[in-house]
This record gives sequence, structure tokens and C-alpha cells, in this order.
Amino acid sequence: MTCRSQATGRPAIVLIDGNNFYASCEAVMDPALLGRPLVVLSNNDGCIVSRSAEARALGIRMGQPYFQVRRELERQGVVVRSSNYALYADMSQRLMTTVEPWVEQLEIYSIDEAFGQLHRPAGHGDLHDWGRRLRHHVLCELGLPVAVGIAPSKVLAKLANRLAKTAPGSDGVWDFGGIGDPDPQLEAVAIEDVWGIGRQLSRWCRLRGISHARALRDMPSGELRRRCGVVGVRLQQELRGHACLPLDTLPATKRETCVSRSFSQPITTQAELQEAIATYLSRAAEKVRRQRQRAGAITVFVRSSPFNGTSFYSNSATVTLPLASNDTAVLLQAALPLVERLFKPHKPLQKAGVLLQNLQSEEILQHHLLVPLPLEQQHRRSALMATIDRLNRHYGSGTVQWAAAGLQTPWRMRRSRLSGAATTRLAAIPVVQAR
Amino acid sequence: MAPPAPPTSLTPTNLTAISLEDELIRCRASTVLLRVSGESMQGAGIAHGDLLIVDRGLEPRPGQIVVAWLAGGFTLKRLVCHRGRLRLEAAHPAYPPLELDPGAEPHLWGVAVHVIRTLEPGTGHR
Repeated sequence: MTCRSQATGRPAIVLIDGNNFYASCEAVMDPALLGRPLVVLSNNDGCIVSRSAEARALGIRMGQPYFQVRRELERQGVVVRSSNYALYADMSQRLMTTVEPWVEQLEIYSIDEAFGQLHRPAGHGDLHDWGRRLRHHVLCELGLPVAVGIAPSKVLAKLANRLAKTAPGSDGVWDFGGIGDPDPQLEAVAIEDVWGIGRQLSRWCRLRGISHARALRDMPSGELRRRCGVVGVRLQQELRGHACLPLDTLPATKRETCVSRSFSQPITTQAELQEAIATYLSRAAEKVRRQRQRAGAITVFVRSSPFNGTSFYSNSATVTLPLASNDTAVLLQAALPLVERLFKPHKPLQKAGVLLQNLQSEEILQHHLLVPLPLEQQHRRSALMATIDRLNRHYGSGTVQWAAAGLQTPWRMRRSRLSGAATTRLAAIPVVQAR
Repeated sequence: MAPPAPPTSLTPTNLTAISLEDELIRCRASTVLLRVSGESMQGAGIAHGDLLIVDRGLEPRPGQIVVAWLAGGFTLKRLVCHRGRLRLEAAHPAYPPLELDPGAEPHLWGVAVHVIRTLEPGTGHR
């Protein structure tokens, strides 16, 4: 593949970002959704987190609570889907591996965006055509539409990406290096929409009459430095086209893993809370095993709903393990006594979670006098964990679970409109008709 | 006397075991697995229950077996150029060919590149 541009000209930063990513992922594996208004709901079917272009055109807003707009969506024939994180994570990985050969360095910034670094071609230096080819390539290989923003710095690349999506006639690509005078575009960006500007800083800017990106770029640096130090100056330098924020290409090894959920109905008994915590802990343990790590400490946290009238309750408890472990049974034994301490009979709980902390690599052999099990038994335990993980991966999570996690689970997350695990479970792949 | 031949089989590139994934999959990101249902592609060696490796990144060409999106579902057919016009053919006498409207772009979703059939039940799963 000859997709990298010749590394000769000025350096450029590109931001590649999936359009309506969750909605687009749903349509990749179900073409019936193409061209139809579609929304994806957050955890627990709470509110709208992604909209297809057709749903946007109907005036459906981001973040609207589902229960408020349910009737309206039905009336307008909008397709509704619960969040299918397995599908989105898989599509994200496909997207990142597809764009990677197109740049010299890649920083995966979130599930649906990545910064890339490359050099402009010598001579004309225009990357617009390159961006168009990249966009076409991703669409052909994956069926995912992306927007491509190109600029000398990350902050400008972020703005270019926005223009790639919104500016009339931009065809999904915007190159700040390719246009003569960026001032009109920067003036159209409200100060609040500049990437990296906090709420406080934008309020301060507004008070000083600085209302758009161009004004921030051109204000005296000294003033900005006095107000917010080097962070503000860096932001301004980036807006001026001087790259100050390096690409973060090495993801730090994870030190913590968290699994937490809101309950579909408040939890009022200790037994239910125990089951919920056991379920989250099992999931977290599986994650840690996949990362080939062991946890040194466990924190369990709970909170009530801030809206239900009774006084708000929020609490957490931590236990440190004598020996780091990723054995679900060991972790359950250590964590379940915490539930007893956290549960309060007259505080209906709305959310709970488990945080596995002080993660260390499985390879690090801890020298410890208190070896809990003889070596042979340890091997048998890890073989058991590996088998359970494989079964759950293969047949769907929760196929094999600890009895502590409960069998009837009224509190479990509501995902009533979930699409199948079309790319992540062999038993759930789509059927092609030969009839 | 001729010098001994260099140990070609021990060069580093030959030390990795064959990976079915590397051999069968051109591009991991654009590859999707589908399960075949029905007998209409029997003549092409594809049976009910087979696992199909589909590459979405390939440009469908006449002669290839393609996955088309037709009437709300994935359908498996061979793309054929017949008297200058494209059509989708089954590989079974009981299923008539489907002419493609020259004006309307058919939704050819992907190209089927391999078919996997498990011969001994119970060995397919790890």
C-alpha cells in the first residue's frame, strides 16, 4: 500500500473521527438501517448518545432522556438501539488498524477518534486529496464514514475536523494548510468550542470580550499566561499553528480497572447488592486477566439517587490483598464483606461499582512468604479461570458465573434494544441466505 | 567438492508456524464471518451451515461469489456478466437468476473469499 505521503514537506497533524460512530457501527452489520433515522441509547437505555444523519435531520437532540422522547421517536419511525459496546469496541479496533498505515504516528484518542502525524508532500503541500482518499478507503474497507481534519497542530486539527463535518461543500475533509486565510473559520468557532478550554477559562474570556477562537489566538500572550499559566499559552500557540502538544503514542499500562453500572431499579436489599457487586467483580477480574495483570486492592463503591427525595448517600470501602490476585474466587472472598459495611437498609441504591487497583503484571513473580496455594494447585486455578473466560467469550458473558452473582437479577442493566454480537461471538454472527 | 547448501529452512522467516488467519485473511479489519443458511449455492461447493469468510474491502467482479443486501437480508449469489448485463446467479437449478437493473446500483455488501466446513462435529470449538 502506498498511502503514506512522501515525508519531505512541513509536518502536519490529522484528526480522524468516525461520524455518528455508534449509529454507523450498527448500520455496518445491519444495512437495513442505512438511510433510516436511528438513535443509540446510553447505558441502561438512559438517553440518546448517537444519532444517524437522518435522526439529526428530524431535530432529535443529543442527550435527550429516552423516556421523554420515546413516543415521539415511535411516531417518527426512528429505530432505537441500546449501546452494543462489544460491537463498537471491535469496529473501533478495525478503524484504528485501517488508518494506522496512512500516517507516520498514531495516537488513539478515544473509541472513535485518532490523531495522526505525517509530513506534507513537497511542493504544493496540499493534503486535501490524501484526506479524501483516506476517507474513501475507510468507507470501502469498513463501511464507516469518517471526517478528516488536517492542520499544523492538534487544537487546529480538532477544529478542522469539525469543519470537515459541518462546513458546506467540505466533502468530509478540511485542511487548514490548504486554505489561505483561516481567520473567517476561526471566527465562526465559539470560544466554548475550542478544544481544551475549560468552562472557567471560557467564562473569563467572554468577560474580556473574547468570544471566538480567532480572538483567543490574537490576544496578548502575557495576559493569558498570568491568568492560566503555560496551559493557556500552549493553547494559544497551537491556535497560531505551532504544535506544542505531542502525540501520545504509547498507552500507559493500566493501573486500575473499573466496572460500574446504574441499576434499572433501585436496590433495597443487601442480597441484591451482593449479587450486583459479585457480577461487577467477576467482569473486572476477567478484564484484569485479559490484561495479564493481578490486582493488589479492591474498592467497592455505592451511591443512592441524587433525585429521589431521601437524603443522598454515597460511600466506598477498600480492602488490600495480602497477595495480588486475579482469581475471581479470591477477589470475591475479599470484597463481599465490604458490601455488608456499605449497605444501609433505608438508602435505596442507584449505582454501584468495583475498582480493581494496584494492578501489576502477571509476569512479576511476587516473592512472598505466604504462598496461598502450592504451585500445582495455582496452575489448576489459572486453567480454570482461563476456561471460564473462554466460555464466556464464546457463548456470551454470564454463561459461567459464580453463584454469588445470583441467577435472577432484576437490578441488571436495561438494554432492551441491543443488537447481536455480530463480530465478536461466533454463535451470533449474521446469517446469509442461500435460497 | 561443492560447499554445503546454506540452511535455508532455518532462516528466521521460516520459523513461524503457519497461521490460518494470515493465509486466509487479506485484511483483518474488513473481514466478517457469516453463517450460510440454505442450499442454493450447492453447485459452488457451499452448503447449509458453512462458515463464510467475507471481505468487505474487495471490489466485486463478475465470477465472484458475493454477499448482496436484498429484500432486507444478506443473500449469497454469484455475480455474473450475462450478455453484457450483470446478474446474480444461484448455483442450483431450482433458483432462477436475478437480473440487476442497469440503472439501480445493487448493494453488494462483500465478496465471499473462503468457506469453512466442519466435518467432524464437536471439533470446531476450542
